[in-house]
Amino acid sequence: MIRLRVNGEPLALDLDPMTPLVDLLRRDLGLTGAKAVCREGFCGACTVHVDGEPRLACLTPAGLVDGREVVTIEGLGRNAPPSVAPVDDAALPTALQRAMLEEDAVQCGMCFPGMVMALAPVLEAEPSMDREAIRRAMTGNLCRCTGYERILDAAVLALRPQQEAAE
Amino acid sequence: MPPANSSAESRRLLTPATIPAALEAQAAGARLLAGGTWLMRSALRDEPLTGAFASLHAIPALSRLDLTPEAAEIGAAVTHARLAEALAGIPELAPLAVAAGASANPGVRRAATLGGNLCATEFPAADLACALLALEADVDLERLSGPGRVYMAQFLARREALLPGALVAGVRIPRRAGRLGAHVRLPLRKAGDYPVAIVSLTAEVADGRLSRPVIAVGSVEPVARRWAELEAALDGVSLDPAAGASAAAGLLSSFSPREGIEAPGWYRAEVLPALVRRALAALEASA
Amino acid sequence: MSAPDPAAHVLDLPRRDARDKLTGATRYTVDRMGAGALHAAILRATGPAGRIVTLDLAPALSMPGVRGVAAAADAPGLHGIGVADHPLFARGHVRQPGEPLAAVAADTLDQARAALKAIVVEIDPDPACLTLDEAVAPGARLVHPDWRDYATLVEGGNRRDNIAWEARVDRGEVDAAFADPTMRIVESAYEVGRQSHVPFEPRAAVARWEDGRVHLECSTQAPWTVRRVTAEVMGIAPSQVRVTVPPVGGGFGLKFDCSIEPIAAILARKTGRAVALELSRAEEAASCLCRENARIRISSAIDPQGHIAARDAEVLMDCGAYGGEQVFLTTMTAHTLGGNYRLGAVRLVTKAVYTNTPPNGAFRACNGVYCTFALERHTDEICAQLGLDPLEFRRANVVGDGDIGATGQVFRGNVLGEMLERMEDASVPVLPALSGTLPDGRLYGRARTVGTWFVFVGPSSATVHLHDDGSATLVTAGVEIGSGSMAQGLPQIVAAQLGIAPDKVVVRQADTDASGLDMGVGGGRTTVSLGAASLEACAAVRAQLLEAAAEMLQTPASGLILRDGRAEIAASPGAGVPIPELVGRIQASLGPVAGHGAFTAPGEPAMPGCTAGHFIEAIDIPVHAVHEAEIALDPDTGHVEVLAYRVVQDVGLALNPRAVRGQIQGGVAQGLGYALHEEITHDAAGAIRQTGFETYRIPGALDVPRVEAILHEGGPSIGPLGIKGAGEVPILNVPAAIACAVANAGGVRVGALPLTPPRVLALLRGRGGRD
Ligand SMILES: Cc1cc2nc3c(=O)[nH]c(=O)nc-3n(C[C@H](O)[C@H](O)[C@H](O)COP(=O)(O)OP(=O)(O)OC[C@H]3O[C@@H](n4cnc5c(N)ncnc54)[C@H](O)[C@@H]3O)c2cc1C
Repeated sequence: MIRLRVNGEPLALDLDPMTPLVDLLRRDLGLTGAKAVCREGFCGACTVHVDGEPRLACLTPAGLVDGREVVTIEGLGRNAPPSVAPVDDAALPTALQRAMLEEDAVQCGMCFPGMVMALAPVLEAEPSMDREAIRRAMTGNLCRCTGYERILDAAVLALRPQQEAAE
Repeated sequence: MPPANSSAESRRLLTPATIPAALEAQAAGARLLAGGTWLMRSALRDEPLTGAFASLHAIPALSRLDLTPEAAEIGAAVTHARLAEALAGIPELAPLAVAAGASANPGVRRAATLGGNLCATEFPAADLACALLALEADVDLERLSGPGRVYMAQFLARREALLPGALVAGVRIPRRAGRLGAHVRLPLRKAGDYPVAIVSLTAEVADGRLSRPVIAVGSVEPVARRWAELEAALDGVSLDPAAGASAAAGLLSSFSPREGIEAPGWYRAEVLPALVRRALAALEASA
Repeated sequence: MSAPDPAAHVLDLPRRDARDKLTGATRYTVDRMGAGALHAAILRATGPAGRIVTLDLAPALSMPGVRGVAAAADAPGLHGIGVADHPLFARGHVRQPGEPLAAVAADTLDQARAALKAIVVEIDPDPACLTLDEAVAPGARLVHPDWRDYATLVEGGNRRDNIAWEARVDRGEVDAAFADPTMRIVESAYEVGRQSHVPFEPRAAVARWEDGRVHLECSTQAPWTVRRVTAEVMGIAPSQVRVTVPPVGGGFGLKFDCSIEPIAAILARKTGRAVALELSRAEEAASCLCRENARIRISSAIDPQGHIAARDAEVLMDCGAYGGEQVFLTTMTAHTLGGNYRLGAVRLVTKAVYTNTPPNGAFRACNGVYCTFALERHTDEICAQLGLDPLEFRRANVVGDGDIGATGQVFRGNVLGEMLERMEDASVPVLPALSGTLPDGRLYGRARTVGTWFVFVGPSSATVHLHDDGSATLVTAGVEIGSGSMAQGLPQIVAAQLGIAPDKVVVRQADTDASGLDMGVGGGRTTVSLGAASLEACAAVRAQLLEAAAEMLQTPASGLILRDGRAEIAASPGAGVPIPELVGRIQASLGPVAGHGAFTAPGEPAMPGCTAGHFIEAIDIPVHAVHEAEIALDPDTGHVEVLAYRVVQDVGLALNPRAVRGQIQGGVAQGLGYALHEEITHDAAGAIRQTGFETYRIPGALDVPRVEAILHEGGPSIGPLGIKGAGEVPILNVPAAIACAVANAGGVRVGALPLTPPRVLALLRGRGGRD
């Protein structure tokens, strides 16, 4: 039995402990926001948070998240489980997502949940990051559509209020 | 939904709390599981992932990271990310810090462990293994019969024989004041892919001269190894990146570089002089 | 009534699908595979060629969880483009590694995969042709010994032996020009590898058999093609197939063909259950309908004035084991390799060649990307050998107003010439000369290249319903694959035409049961063809609205305009009637308000008699591009870094300039992948060796620079509002610009792609670029 919390909800699941976490989420919980694109740790599209830290859900055995707190893109920035706090249509939960919307960064969209999950905590932890540092932080998140610049623009935009305040 | 996985019943994950418990589990047939970044890709290599697994994450001794003036003692379950953070700015440990901080990508570095990097025997491009070779680390092994310590070079050369029935507990890196180091890797993109060749180097630098250089080469052959001919050629000579590169260029014939999908063997060898030049330049910059 | 001014349609409208894509709420086809569906897996051949001696499916049927199996007997029809040569499952013979032999549907994917192993297969291997050289060698073993028996769907292509299709252009006296002693002759040869699309959503389909019909929910760019091909191979009526398309997680041309969908359909029919089929990443990579590998030989006769008196070229395109798109794409050589420059006389021979390798397909600016690479490298080689300035040569020779193209079509406007000038004005290079050495010791190179692509027009239909709440519904078979055409371009057009806000335009998800015929989303055609059909549909709606408004406002329709949700008297703003009220009135008297529009290629004339085997003799909407790359080359390792990249793109009218710039940035990134990183090689059995992200290296954030883009407007276009397709062309000249810049930097002759570090280092060290 694997006991964990997913987006705030306590769960107990009886399943193969070597199942990749991404399959537990997508197949068993219907949380399809994390994408299983490469399944070998190179693309980052399956990134979720385990105890607050971005993790590659394709390489994480379900058994290793026993007793841990998992947050997926569906639960990001929400204080309560989505069933309790329904999606607020007006606001996106993080500054990064709002900036991505504003910069028209999205194309096919498959990489974005992982991109957001990987970048949002990094930006929060290091609000002084410059564009090149953000670029390096994106090494594990590939995108086939956009050529990355809009995503960088959005990350820079998301940090601007804090950077201006710090000046 | 029907059962998701037909092998569900046959796969088990144990979480031993001590080294002996892990060794017991291993003796009973369990495979050791550290960060899982190598093991979880088994299916892609057409290797079935079946049976029992023993995770090392709950064993406190494997997560230690002790820095004393004499040595750095690092547990096998320490992740790349933690290593890079803890070792940042320590000149004599620079090769390991760079290796841990520049390999793979941030997500992998948060999961992948030092022990896994040393024990993924089929993986030729291991950054940490190469850096530890240049740092002349020792590897601490644990078996049911008791602990043991082997030189890194020996460990790498004889891994396949040493590992069955054993667990890597960690490494001990001697800290020698005055020694400097560098780790230079060459992925084909800017970052994110495996390095096609690695040069890790440590040496004492005094009066602009190198002494007792230790030079490790990774990813060129199936297992990282020291470049003894170049070590001999550079011992006692002045620290001159260009001269070092030309010395390296004359000593390439000792390699039997591996062919790979991503790069031909000749390429791995031919870039080595440039990597030696960069490593010496990094040494010069830190001196 | 006056139609709205084109400028009224221009807007940086944000994407309506972005919010859900940013919160993980969007459900692509791969996110719809749960909920009671069976899971399918495909058994594939391992060797490249052989006779199927045994294929015993019975053992699979008794494996746990198995509900159905399928093989060749279930799919009697052959499909293809130009030539119907392709069975869904190998029939009698295997012609490629990875060819589908059978498929299994089971309760779980693991059960389906386990059952594949139970199928008994025995194949008696045949010798195989794995390369273009082997396939065209005299006496080569035929990939399709029975090629004569295949139905030809289009006439005119020369077919023989392993040549699936040959297209030719013969205009003017080529041999005479080459024999003329006053001419300088320059000859070049090039070779390029395959490129894999790597859409982040692999090909996937969920099929249900409902009321005697199959409903396919799938990740495709071309729902009507899936409808037709599924019916063809299953031997059922096209009307028995319904295709709906959820948001598509990237296509880039891969999903312009129908490939796996009929397998899901057959299994759904046989099991009576919903069947989900999703290719694993390794399967997707190994069976990718790649941009084809090709060989190009090109020679030019340059007259004493520095003009191209004659050009003679041959292109061999590897179609793999089945003709597919390559048959059609032989047409494109005339407009890509034969395009851009004024040619006195021209001979182009393009052959789609069968080999025993995985079949290729369509990829963003298909044929164009490598033909532009070959053309522009050849152009630079002409300049180098004749001592001409490459920029001057281009200025002097690009097609201008009234010039004719390879097939004799007349070009209008000095578009390329003006674009070259704009690039000249925009360029602020790192070093003044085209080559040099940077302070850090790396070699510097710069190059500027031209390219010509087109909009793949063709049939589209649209219906617009206007409702009494002031909203409209647009019904088409258009698919949102990420480019924004459906999320931005089309609603902008409908909104501007009807005077309502874009967010009041509901865009119906593609459904072949609801829409008319459509060629699919690809070839840069969506905003043009679907846009034209939508415009026409809106015109019918406008006519009804304005007629009713004219009566209500007692003003002639010609004096009315639709804006801000109202029909107003143009001369006295504020005087008018809200659209909902108008619609309500019309509903009450005539019924609901709707309009229909249709579009297809108008057909641009070519010079009669100079082409053979061509599907398109002249291009209806030419699209030009000028690119400039500045690179730094590491002489020790062969690594190429792109220092700066500039694009001037012929966009006609930029409907959503910000979205166009997004397409340019992304298209250039994909082109850089093909130019520098993405390599496909084959193993001894002809199978693709790069089966995952570890070995197939798409560019990362650190590998792509910010692209400076200039949108060149005003080039003539028959597209609606003067629009041209903007999503496909950005990739067109990237390998050309990079290869020419690398050649300049290294002082080497670049003859092959991709320019991976090992290939570049080999070139620099004088060992050719092919190992
Ligand atoms: C996308 C990606 C990129 C990568 N890029 C790089 C790179 O640039 N450079 C690089 O060096 N590596 C790279 N790697 C490889 C990565 O470093 C290894 O996968 C990792 O080090 C393995 O560590 P792990 O903790 O995940 O090991 P696991 O996968 O848990 O285990 C690996 C093997 O080691 C054994 N093992 C683990 N710990 C012990 C122990 N303490 N004692 C005995 N046996 C043990 C396991 O049984 C298993 O056989 C990359 C990996 C990925 C996924």
